[in-house]
Amino acid sequence: MAGSALRRLMAEYKQLTINPPEGIIAGPINEENFFEWEALITGPEGTCFEGGIFPAKLHFPPDYPLSPPKMEFTCEMFHPNIYADGRVCISILHAPGDDPMGYESSAERWSPVQSVEKILLSVVSMLAEPNDESGANVDAAKMWREDREQFNKIAEKLVRKTLSLE
Amino acid sequence: MKALLATVISLGLTTVVIGNAYYQKKQFYPSIVYLTNSNPSMAVMYLQAFILVLLVGKLLRKIFFGQLRPAEFEHLIERSWYAITETCLAFTVFRDDFNPKFIALFTLLLFLKAFHWLAEDRVDYMERSPVIGLLFHVRILTLLMLLAHADFYFIHHAYQFTAVKGPSVQLVFGFEYSILIIMIVNILIKYVLHAIDSRWEAPWESKAAVLLYTELAINFLKVLLYIGFVAVMVRIYTLPLFAFRPMYETMRSFKKAYNDVVLSRRAIRNMNTLYPDATPAELAAADNECIICREEMHTGAKKLPCNHIFHAACLRLWFQRQQTCPTCRLNVLRAPAPEAAAGAPGPAAPAPPLAGLAPHAAPAPPPPGPVPPPFPNMPPPPPMMAWGMPPPPPPRPASLANLTTAELQRMEGNERRNIEARLQLLREIQAMLDASVLLMQQYSTVVANLPQNNVTVSTQTETRIEELTKESPSTTQGKSEPDVVPTTSSYKQPSPVPSTSKTIVTEDTSPMQPDTTTPVDTNRDKTDVDAADELRRRRLQKFALDK
Repeated sequence: MAGSALRRLMAEYKQLTINPPEGIIAGPINEENFFEWEALITGPEGTCFEGGIFPAKLHFPPDYPLSPPKMEFTCEMFHPNIYADGRVCISILHAPGDDPMGYESSAERWSPVQSVEKILLSVVSMLAEPNDESGANVDAAKMWREDREQFNKIAEKLVRKTLSLE
Repeated sequence: MKALLATVISLGLTTVVIGNAYYQKKQFYPSIVYLTNSNPSMAVMYLQAFILVLLVGKLLRKIFFGQLRPAEFEHLIERSWYAITETCLAFTVFRDDFNPKFIALFTLLLFLKAFHWLAEDRVDYMERSPVIGLLFHVRILTLLMLLAHADFYFIHHAYQFTAVKGPSVQLVFGFEYSILIIMIVNILIKYVLHAIDSRWEAPWESKAAVLLYTELAINFLKVLLYIGFVAVMVRIYTLPLFAFRPMYETMRSFKKAYNDVVLSRRAIRNMNTLYPDATPAELAAADNECIICREEMHTGAKKLPCNHIFHAACLRLWFQRQQTCPTCRLNVLRAPAPEAAAGAPGPAAPAPPLAGLAPHAAPAPPPPGPVPPPFPNMPPPPPMMAWGMPPPPPPRPASLANLTTAELQRMEGNERRNIEARLQLLREIQAMLDASVLLMQQYSTVVANLPQNNVTVSTQTETRIEELTKESPSTTQGKSEPDVVPTTSSYKQPSPVPSTSKTIVTEDTSPMQPDTTTPVDTNRDKTDVDAADELRRRRLQKFALDK
């Protein structure tokens, strides 16, 4: 019997393949290594990210699902909750106890109940509704608050970039 | 590409240097003497040796590991840098012994260390790899055997050398190889565990525990070795700065292993004492999937106080991190033990002590004979209390109050407990019934003792008050905004309903509440009532004027 982390990742992969959520594709980059996944996330409709297809990578720790995976976008992103290097900063990706921004309650942190699917859905809703209190990207948070038009323009540009239109 | 270039350049340089020496001296021995006396030539030779070592390393890596994963490579580079820095620090201590042989020995040590690290990473990866072929086993076993032999040989050599010639740099080597041999033992244990686990179809639940204890023991040995080494070095040479970082890391991981063991033991104890095993019926009622590992639960499932069910093994791992329910984040350490009689709701609804009280009737089952008198310890309630507020909850029999929480916990999961709890509840119901009978009796005696005329007066005042309250809203109505609804409702129900003119309401409600003006008013003097009446009438007039 393989390790529990591997079995769970295989189960999740199977689940995601059989029953994929709308607008999300995810799976291991290489089936030899189930601890590195890539995902494609469609920008939620009715938001400034609409129409974009954003590639991201997920790194799973050896003790998954006891510890959360790490997620980073591999394309250029401009969003209050995404660091400049692409790392995603949402509370369900943080293990209880570490709180980089000091505002999250432990109720919304990682727990083994979460899954790849829930993470990706949270990321989609994060794209739709940024949390400008967590300043992973302070410039983006400021612009989101004060100059929404400019923010939308940048987002649309990024969308076109992900579609290789620019 | 770079490596190839470096190799070619180095090879070319060496050829040039040797060719030059031979060209100048024409004979073997003179050329050797020329080479060893010329510093630039020696530098080239050392460089060549270094590159040769790297090439051999690459070759061995290909043989034993094949392609390195990026994570392994990163790990290797990172650890190599630390090791090189520490080796340089070690040179400062042993600068008297500084010679090519010494450098060669240190290089060899580094070289072997690198293979130990790689083997460790590879074995750790076993658990995460979907397929493990025969080649993997052959490679790892051969490598471990070779490394163990090398370690033994160098330890033996260091021991012999130190025994014959006294303490020298061989102390360091002896110590470093001892650490490495411990590492080999650790890797071997892990390998065997993973290998056994991969043969089995069912998950091996105690593997995690075995790994945990191995980790603790290995780290303990390492810490002992480091402390011994530092002590010896301080006595003979000086403070071995180069050993401090690994020593610190070893101590930290020892502490972590110790904490893990403690937390794991606590989690196991909690699970065994606090949470009952889930029954097949409960498993069927839930969707029978452990949310932690996403696999079906057949046996060994535990139910938490919040009724969520998980594999015991999965829960134990999670409880090492956090003592909360993975689903609802209920703090399982702080939460009360699962309610004794979930099916039998307590008679006194807000009865948190009831849950705790119920099980401890178990050692002393209630006597089957007549129930003891309801309030053995309680003094008769003071007469005023009977009217002002609901009767106080009856105290429980004192004999049940002296059990500790540990005793309570031990009874969890006990079948018999449920019956006991029900009996206990019945007794309490009886006690409360007795209490209410007592209250009724007191009530009727008080009512019977009241003078007849006082009662009639009070009823008169009540009717008057009611008339007044019907007037008072009407007087305020003109003043209030048209959209304020509550004034109309206060017609029928003169309770403290919010009205816009708060002064009137507050002043009126205090004596008026006809429903509750039970015998309290009867104690009042008639003149008092009249005076209050008068006062109110005057105020109403005043408000009429204000308007």
